Amino acid sequence: MTTILTVDDSTSMRQMVAFTLKQAGFDVVEAADGEEGLQKAKGTNVDVVVTDVNMPKMDGISLVKKLRALPNYKFTPILLLTTEAGADKKQEGKAAGATGWLVKPFNPDQLLSTIKKVIG
Amino acid sequence: MALPSKFDKGADQLPRTLRGFGHINRFVDRRDGKFIAKILPGEYYVTNQDEYVATVLGSCVSACIRDKETGLGGMNHFMLPKVGSDEKKGLNGKINDAARYGNFAMEHMINAILKNGGKRENLEVKLTGGGRIIANMTNVGLKNIEFVREYIRTEGLMLVAEELGEIYPRKVLYHPLSGKMKVKRLRALHNNTVLDRETRYMNELEVKPIGGDVELF
Repeated sequence: MTTILTVDDSTSMRQMVAFTLKQAGFDVVEAADGEEGLQKAKGTNVDVVVTDVNMPKMDGISLVKKLRALPNYKFTPILLLTTEAGADKKQEGKAAGATGWLVKPFNPDQLLSTIKKVIG
Repeated sequence: MALPSKFDKGADQLPRTLRGFGHINRFVDRRDGKFIAKILPGEYYVTNQDEYVATVLGSCVSACIRDKETGLGGMNHFMLPKVGSDEKKGLNGKINDAARYGNFAMEHMINAILKNGGKRENLEVKLTGGGRIIANMTNVGLKNIEFVREYIRTEGLMLVAEELGEIYPRKVLYHPLSGKMKVKRLRALHNNTVLDRETRYMNELEVKPIGGDVELF
């Protein structure tokens, strides 16, 4: 079964994303910030990461960089799901090694079809 | 020569806005020299300066949020889009358009505060609006109130005051630096401006898809 790690400091957003993914049959691991996300990724075999950008402790872009430095996560799809729509920030995400960028408001169908695309 | 307006724009005196808020209508109130940013339905404004955020609410709600340590904060003005009955059934009403849009409206402003140095644990919230301004209409205001209260609870944010519901439109003036929220209940809709603006906003929400862009690198 595909396991997805969802990282967001907003509890309600995390609940909505987790609910959508579980309904679609995925296993879901949740984390409230980049630091917790990194710990959970190290402790579980995660197939896809969906992370927010602006978070306390460790932001989403730093999380992408840290994950890409780990041998297990060199090629794992990492999607940034954020309110940030600016080109600069998006470029930062791309340079860090993210696979894709989704701008909120969060759309369940859009998220699921993007995940299906990146896991082939 | 034209007489100076009571609300002269006085653009040269206005403090600098934070990045991303240059489009918001701001002016200097000539009566007392206050700097005021006036927001419309669907907008929000965040500042770290000594200025006020103003709006007029009908059935919409506003969350006034600030970092109580630094005084950085702002106000939004939104309502939830209508939810079709099919959608409500399909997703247990949990992540319907209304909830997704409401989350977005709240998170967008909270993120702007956090991005500019605010700390989540210092955030305090005041809520207002959600009036049932038309007696024989569905109680749109109540849905907005229920959502925003639930959101604050789920997020574990500190709610320090609320002035919600009833049948009145409201004029709101928020000063993030001090945290003061002044609410004036308006006895009646003196003209249709508030109602027209909210109706236009509601219609826009109905036709606009609730979802952002996707880009795969």
